[in-house]
Amino acid sequence: MKDKEQRKIIHVDMDAFYAAVEQRDDPRLRGRPVIVGGPPASRGVVATASYEARRFGVHSAMPSAQAYRLCPHAVFVKPRFEVYRAVSQHIRAVLGRYSELIEPLSLDEAYLDVSISTACRGSATLIARDIKQAIRAATGLVASAGVSYNKFLAKLASDLDKPDGLAVITPAQGPDFVAALPVGRFHGIGRATERRLLALGIATGADLRARSRDELVGHFGKAGAWYHQLARGIDERPVEPDRARKSLGAETTFATDLDDPAEMLGQLRALAAEVATDLARRGLRGRTLTVKVRYADFESVTRSLSFAEPTATYADLEPRLAVLLARTEAGPRRVRLLGVTVSGFETAGRGQGLQLVLF
Amino acid sequence: MKLEIQREQLLKPLQNVVNVVERRQTLPVLANVLLEMHDNAFTLTATDLEVELVTRASVITSDSGEVTLPARKLFDILRNLPEEAAIQLGFDGERAVLKSGRSRFTLATLPAADFPTLDEIPFDLELSLPQRTLKTLIEKTQFAMAQQDVRYYLNGLLLDCVDGELRAVATDGHRLAYACAAVTAAAAAQVIVPRKGVQELARLLADSDEPAQVRIGTNHIQVVIGDIRFTSKLIDGKFPDYQRVIPREGRRVVLADRLVLRTALTRTAILSNEKYRGVRLQLDNWLLRVQAHNPEQEEAEEEVEVNYSGDGLEIGFNVAYLLDALGALDGELVKLSFNDANSSCLLQNPDSEDCRYVIMPMRL
Repeated sequence: MKDKEQRKIIHVDMDAFYAAVEQRDDPRLRGRPVIVGGPPASRGVVATASYEARRFGVHSAMPSAQAYRLCPHAVFVKPRFEVYRAVSQHIRAVLGRYSELIEPLSLDEAYLDVSISTACRGSATLIARDIKQAIRAATGLVASAGVSYNKFLAKLASDLDKPDGLAVITPAQGPDFVAALPVGRFHGIGRATERRLLALGIATGADLRARSRDELVGHFGKAGAWYHQLARGIDERPVEPDRARKSLGAETTFATDLDDPAEMLGQLRALAAEVATDLARRGLRGRTLTVKVRYADFESVTRSLSFAEPTATYADLEPRLAVLLARTEAGPRRVRLLGVTVSGFETAGRGQGLQLVLF
Repeated sequence: MKLEIQREQLLKPLQNVVNVVERRQTLPVLANVLLEMHDNAFTLTATDLEVELVTRASVITSDSGEVTLPARKLFDILRNLPEEAAIQLGFDGERAVLKSGRSRFTLATLPAADFPTLDEIPFDLELSLPQRTLKTLIEKTQFAMAQQDVRYYLNGLLLDCVDGELRAVATDGHRLAYACAAVTAAAAAQVIVPRKGVQELARLLADSDEPAQVRIGTNHIQVVIGDIRFTSKLIDGKFPDYQRVIPREGRRVVLADRLVLRTALTRTAILSNEKYRGVRLQLDNWLLRVQAHNPEQEEAEEEVEVNYSGDGLEIGFNVAYLLDALGALDGELVKLSFNDANSSCLLQNPDSEDCRYVIMPMRL
């Protein structure tokens, strides 16, 4: 591989984003444990918990009922995605002052490649500090930033001294940092892979590094080669601006084929809930809902309908699922896979007139 | 503690403060109003922790004490009792008993000690002006305040006391409203009053020459209006530099009959896109043409005679912003001043600089 110019990557991550917005907008919530998500009596989950609530062990994706048991005096707040989306746009505008190369991961997280940026005389650390200040000035919210020479390490760095953190992992520090890292923290290593690695006696980056590329590929296929790279602090993935996503969906294959339409509908609802959460997290709203059905004989069909206004909410998607499912032969024909997709994302202001701003 | 009073003597002061009580509260005691009785007087206090309203009234009593009562329930009961009804308010442990004629209500109370009241606030600036003046400043500008904007400092009204003037400025980033009045003040100050406080204040001010005492501190603004004391927290933030945004007179200055233009725009607006509200203005010698169309391809076109001669111009606007400004201005004529299709438009009364409205165009 050719010698490459050292890159400078910043990962910006808002601290307890949804909860912080709620605390900013309602002074009564400041200093109190705040849980943004479903109400405690519902089957909802925690979207974000404020740091005050995290002290009681509450974390995102935890069922609200469990969060309530851990922290009964917390204030439960319904998410206001419209507001989060708007705040996110302002944050993105701030980031845009520092680089053209911005890859948003969700409403509250983004990578920037500032390798060729001339701001702050090219110092990525100073840029990161500037960005944190600018975000606070524009939105009143606190961000953490991680600076490093690739995305993998920049993301780990932003987590190092959260909240209000700013951490740098230099090329000299990278290999040692990775060596000490538990394998569960590696990009792309989930709980299942972590268990398999531990079974092989691989607990840390150093353990991972000690294994040959061939051995890792033997165990994990293509992913093994990726782990081999990461163990050396190498991650060549570019920062990809404006991932022009055209659709967003989820699907699931069943261990045994389904023949009960009621059960299929239940599965579709779960998938739609997942898609709705994903859409909200990415700040997307779509016009078209598609249900995909794969019959037991592997023949697949899709059924779609469009909304008058772009949407991202489960409440809008849910009533349409039964309608679309009824337009397939599911039931009489057994089903091995179901999927839900939303597409036709809105683009702001298209053809409607663009309002210019004063400042 | 006991209070014997005529319905109106309690209803009127309660009416002045009850609006600030939120319908849904985070603290139960915020649903209540604090009643404090001293020798021959009582005060009522309501708060949402951002805006506090206190009002004072006299009553013949030798009792003293304090308690909090459910504000809206008390208000609704009083409102629905017959006019000039005699009311007896007594207290029995944690209950309040309100009797009037053959009506009897038992209300739950909460201890006055739990009610959050503001401590003594230091003020840096004090000025007095007629209520009408302050009311006008607010009414001429408040519609341009942002609503739930992430730039939280826009969700309020800027009061800028400088150069012998009190200026009110509101902006949502698309348009800006400015109004000023001469005042006598010992010092300068610039504060942002939050939206709710602004609306509450406008409601309390009368269209009269009676004075309003305005006091400004680091974190609070207080306005004393007769027996009512209004206190609001301030928004801690930096308001945009409005002077920079208000343009000098532009290259194209148009005089139009304000009401004729307003009604023409109102009619055109009916067929504008309901969401984006865009209208196109075509300026020619002695003529302003207004056009709109909607996604159903319906179209509206109006021609308005104007006093203008010079280069033509085609420019788009959100019609709601134009209508807000034309509605807030007074005078028979309006002066519109344009530069080009990408620059802001300035609207004002040709005879006065006291109210100025700046609107950014839309690209259609």
